[in-house]
Amino acid sequence: MKKFRLYYDKDREQDWLQKMSSEGWALKKFFLGVYTFVPCKPGEYIYQIDLLENWDGDKEDFASFMEDSGVEVVSQWYRWVYLRKKAEDGPFEMYTDIDSKINQYNRIKNFFRAAFILEMGGFLIEMNAALRTKSLLFWIFAILAGVFAILFLRIVWRCQWKIEQLQREKG
Amino acid sequence: MDNNLPLTEAIFYILLAVRKPNHGYGIIQEVSEITGGRVVLGPGTLYGAINSLLSKKWIMLYSEDMASRKKKEYLITKEGIEVFFKEVKRLEELVRNAKLMEGLA
Repeated sequence: MKKFRLYYDKDREQDWLQKMSSEGWALKKFFLGVYTFVPCKPGEYIYQIDLLENWDGDKEDFASFMEDSGVEVVSQWYRWVYLRKKAEDGPFEMYTDIDSKINQYNRIKNFFRAAFILEMGGFLIEMNAALRTKSLLFWIFAILAGVFAILFLRIVWRCQWKIEQLQREKG
Repeated sequence: MDNNLPLTEAIFYILLAVRKPNHGYGIIQEVSEITGGRVVLGPGTLYGAINSLLSKKWIMLYSEDMASRKKKEYLITKEGIEVFFKEVKRLEELVRNAKLMEGLA
């Protein structure tokens, strides 16, 4: 089964994968918003999502470390990784202390901040072209770039909010 | 004061678990065992901590057998042992001073 979704919050995405697993659908692959599921025993797996530090340098190292630790790497897309463990093997949480949780949200925040800046640049270029040529196509591009820029900015804020929550917890 | 201290609980226990060659899964298991299940290291937390310990040279790669794709093992270094005992000294001081509270419990 395939489902198309766009998530901008990895915690909600994780909850959704968990819900799918409890209904007997295990994520097998992720690509560009398309999630491929295969049947499983209801609640068989616990899913976690992570963002790697580097563009490609530590991909293999990370994957083999996880496999060695009894974690299955389900799908990798870009720097995003989908991981799972059988629920019968006990609880599964990638990050168990506040510092490493803050680090993870910082990675995600920086990732989307870069995406926001890129998209903002795109927006300005398209806006400029639209104003000059008065072409409908450029207006559409400009609006699309603007919408994505706002979306990315929201993720940056969300991460910032979560980081501040965690820092407060830490005291 | 040494600004490496105090160590986080995760770092403290990871250093302890690599006093002899140990691999990722072994570290998670040993730490869980000796703390009675109180400290369970998430694999992401462990991965990040190991990389930071490697770059600080507090631990080193002990073995990486490419041919048999054996699990990577890590071992504490001299620097790591030094930092560990500095931390133990700090903890001992805490416990020693905690005795001032005796009688109130």
